[in-house]
Amino acid sequence: MIDVIFVILSLSAILSAFFMIYAKEPMNSAFSFIVTLLSLAGLFALLSASFIFLVQIIVYAGAIITLILLIIMFLNIKEESLPKEPHKLKYILISIVFIIPIDIALLKAIATLPKANMALLNNNFGTVKALGMLLYKNWLFPFELVSVLLIISLIGAIVFAKRKI
Amino acid sequence: MFSLTSLMFVAFTLFSIGIAGVISRKNIFVIYMSLELMLNAVNLMFVGLSRYFHTMDGQVIAMMVIAVSAAEAALFLSLVVLLYKRKGTLDADIFVKLSQKREHK
Repeated sequence: MIDVIFVILSLSAILSAFFMIYAKEPMNSAFSFIVTLLSLAGLFALLSASFIFLVQIIVYAGAIITLILLIIMFLNIKEESLPKEPHKLKYILISIVFIIPIDIALLKAIATLPKANMALLNNNFGTVKALGMLLYKNWLFPFELVSVLLIISLIGAIVFAKRKI
Repeated sequence: MFSLTSLMFVAFTLFSIGIAGVISRKNIFVIYMSLELMLNAVNLMFVGLSRYFHTMDGQVIAMMVIAVSAAEAALFLSLVVLLYKRKGTLDADIFVKLSQKREHK
């Protein structure tokens, strides 16, 4: 049963990701990117990362995609301001042909890892409490650095939005 | 339960699609969403490997990657708004000229 859900979620993620880089209008790309993000959230839930699942839905599908859609509507994009890309599919296929050997090499490296039991050891793996304890015990300094980064990006966005820089 | 190799196959495929989008498209929104897709594929690798090694450090790193991509979204989209006001197009090739005059209408 888990395998069937895994295959369905993976297929929907990959197909909608391909449609995202293929679509002409940025609005269609954004909507199919939502499908990719929600499928990835489902994959996180299958891997029993419940807090990452929540953060993925709230931050990505809730905040970032909403920001992208808002900017697309705010810019009021006309047909002539979209770039002309007549050989789009050809370029995509050529770049995929160049990337596939690297993927095969990496997958061979992954396949040599020993087959470990993917089953869970304890019940609170990936819960909010366990993740928070780990975050504030071992990862406190990177966590504070991330907050500094968010403040810097806030200031940067305000500076960009001013009329005269 | 699915194996680690199949999970990594999905993650590598998504990452490759992201690279292909960055290389082959010109629309700057699609380039940005391909960058986000690559970050998501790396998140999937981190979460899968944290399940494989039975440690939750990978999930903490995935959460920090999400925070960094949120910061990136704010900056990148405000830059896109600024450049679209100056240039009036979404073509990424036009942005190699960062002049202040409004040349391409």
